[in-house]
Amino acid sequence: MTTSLSAQNIVKRYGGVVALSDGNLDVHSGEVLALIGANGSGKSTLTKVINGVVVLDGGQLLLDDKPINFDSPQAAKRMGIGTVFQELSLVPKMTVAENIWLAREPLRSGIFVDAKEIKTRTKNLLHLFEGTYRAAMHSDVPVSTLPPDELQIVEILKAISFNPNIIILDEATASLDNRQVQRLFDLVRQWKADGKAIIFVSHRMEEIFRIADRYTVLRNGKTVDSGDMKDITEKELVNRMVGKDTVYSLSRTDHQEKGEGPKPVRLAVENLQTRVLKGVGLAVHEGELLGLGGLKGQGQRDLLLALFGDIPYEGKVTVNGKEVNFPHPKNAIRESIALVPGDRSREGLLSIRSILENLMLPSWTNYGFPLRMRRSYEDGNRVASDLNLVMRNLSDPVNSLSGGNAQKVIIGKWLLKKPKILLLDDPTKGVDVGTKGEFYRLLQQLCSEGTSIIFHSSDDEELIGLCDRILVMFEGKIRAELAGANITKAKLVAASMGASEESLA
Amino acid sequence: MKKISISPPVAAVLLAVILFIFSGFLPNSFGTNTQVAISQAVNIIRLSVFLGIIAAGQTLVIISGGEGIDLSAGAVVTLSAILTWTIVLGKDERVLPALVVVLLVGALVGLINGAGIIFLKISPFVMTLGMSGVITGLVIIVNHGNAPGRLAPIMTRVIARPLFLGIPGAIIIYVFFAALMWIILERSTFGKNLFAIGVNRVTAKLSGVNVTRMVLATYALAGALAAFGGFMVVGNTQVVFLNLGAPFLFPSIAAVAVGGTLLSGGKGSYFGSMAGALVLILISSVLTTMQMIDAVRQMVLGATLLIIISIYGRQRGFRQ
Repeated sequence: MTTSLSAQNIVKRYGGVVALSDGNLDVHSGEVLALIGANGSGKSTLTKVINGVVVLDGGQLLLDDKPINFDSPQAAKRMGIGTVFQELSLVPKMTVAENIWLAREPLRSGIFVDAKEIKTRTKNLLHLFEGTYRAAMHSDVPVSTLPPDELQIVEILKAISFNPNIIILDEATASLDNRQVQRLFDLVRQWKADGKAIIFVSHRMEEIFRIADRYTVLRNGKTVDSGDMKDITEKELVNRMVGKDTVYSLSRTDHQEKGEGPKPVRLAVENLQTRVLKGVGLAVHEGELLGLGGLKGQGQRDLLLALFGDIPYEGKVTVNGKEVNFPHPKNAIRESIALVPGDRSREGLLSIRSILENLMLPSWTNYGFPLRMRRSYEDGNRVASDLNLVMRNLSDPVNSLSGGNAQKVIIGKWLLKKPKILLLDDPTKGVDVGTKGEFYRLLQQLCSEGTSIIFHSSDDEELIGLCDRILVMFEGKIRAELAGANITKAKLVAASMGASEESLA
Repeated sequence: MKKISISPPVAAVLLAVILFIFSGFLPNSFGTNTQVAISQAVNIIRLSVFLGIIAAGQTLVIISGGEGIDLSAGAVVTLSAILTWTIVLGKDERVLPALVVVLLVGALVGLINGAGIIFLKISPFVMTLGMSGVITGLVIIVNHGNAPGRLAPIMTRVIARPLFLGIPGAIIIYVFFAALMWIILERSTFGKNLFAIGVNRVTAKLSGVNVTRMVLATYALAGALAAFGGFMVVGNTQVVFLNLGAPFLFPSIAAVAVGGTLLSGGKGSYFGSMAGALVLILISSVLTTMQMIDAVRQMVLGATLLIIISIYGRQRGFRQ
């Protein structure tokens, strides 16, 4: 049988933000389509429209040339569209078999779950990856006990268990080892031969060239190019993703012209390893704004948390020439290190407490006993006005503030401590444009006062516009260091995708 | 339209006043006799002191979040009362050493609670319930319920009798105790960190708060406060028995809830718990005056609790 899926002029808005303004793709039986784009290009939104996770605002989906509409992933499944989700969709406490057959368990006499049938079918599915997983993994173990690669295998088996005609692999290879990827690709070739259509989303350039037949490139929410893989090179593909190097004049005050010699190193890291990091080395100088780029989830978060003493690590970290290994964030704070975490509400704020208490949380010990409240209000108000915080009163709960203002509170609590090293985990995510501009000015001001900043951002433009030097992370390692004239969007994107050396040159 | 909002502690105090005035119109009550009314009010407040002090530790652990609760409070009250009774042996000069010992023992019990909760990851409900059983069993094994001992005259004089201008000593102690609790919660780094871990432990840790140490300290302090409650209770009852502390346990949790402290942690006040204790004591006193049988008293108390807490729940719903 043959099948085809076509997405035409898809539009998707989240609130006022247009994530996708003109998304197009076509995929047919017996081919693998690579869906490619940089951070924020709209590729994950487009896959979510196709598999029914979000409902489109405009445009048309055609399945076998007939218009289709669905309002849920279940509806998409019924139409034969299966997805291997990047953020795994498994229930931790349930077993492998229960997860795979969740909500569509084979029944006996139409009532009872047929346990035997489930077991046989699960065994058959697992057989597809035979030999690439541990012996301890079988249909009856709870998935919470499985390592990431085996979880990914279960997720893949779950997606194909109802025999879909169209399979979306969204970063399905990210946690698989070489053998497992090889097996998956063998399966993909088998599916092609069976007449299935496959959409392949990956951040690994090498894999895209290995398995895909055609490509579709998204940029800024638009499909900008499609074609056959055999007609394009890696370098050309990166250029399509980047477009013309946007002339970006954020507020780049030509830092190079300061003309002073190199400043002393404030923070040095050698061979840092955690569960995610595979040996990271870097050095940050006094007054330097060091960018940390790359696609999401390449170890940026782990690096910042490890430096802040929140997760254990192996390797050597020196602050001002002194070797340290912080057992707890409070020890890092004592060395004048501050962290603005990536998840504002879960890691940065005390939602129902006042703005004052949020600002003062790391600083209360400076206010004596009993706490001198008047002085804390004075200091809080000073920081609030420095940051141009829009609020009625310091005693209002912090969750009465907008996203940008809440982020200012998190930054404000560290400004009170006058940090020497500031670690920022994507601080402008979900922040309005005006506030972003204020942040950029603040960061530059802090640097000119001698603060060293490591600035991770998922917004490539932001990194290019602000930083003197950018480290690009890829799969737990630093893939490239860009500095001076080498800072271009093309190079940043190429390194983010783990592109080969020549396309970085 | 401006919404009239009354904070839960104020609401609880208002409720107490209304209940008190209502109780005046009951048969055999004070009616229009101000003299009797005042002495009746003082007596009610005096009675609420003991529940109020036992609810102090409960307030702290509930504010600390993580499903915090101290079900060992009742057992600690009994343990502390019996210890006081046996150590003092009727001698005034042994009262202070006895107080120090019971506070330390209470703190140790709390510390073990905290350690089980934070290191062994046992839920506070299970951990403190188990601890309650252990203590009760220990008390039975050690003295079979008939401890030799006697209270010192000074304890009776200070706790159970009028001390100054006709005001019972217990109330005077309560005022200082409340001031201390306020300073701990609102004017100390410990208090600020306590609210912080109650709202969000990840944020607290990433802001430099040592969550482990805070949980240990909170449960230890709660144990010491419950022990102080036992010391006060025995000073009032002047006898000890095995079931002395247990009847305080659930009212101590109810008092915290009526006082508007969020049971999920991170928000609340000790004044709320004091007002809550007052309301609970008043309701039960009114019902006694009305000569209700015990079963009816239980029902009315339970229903009142449900009503009050559901009203608070609605208010929060409106605000968000």
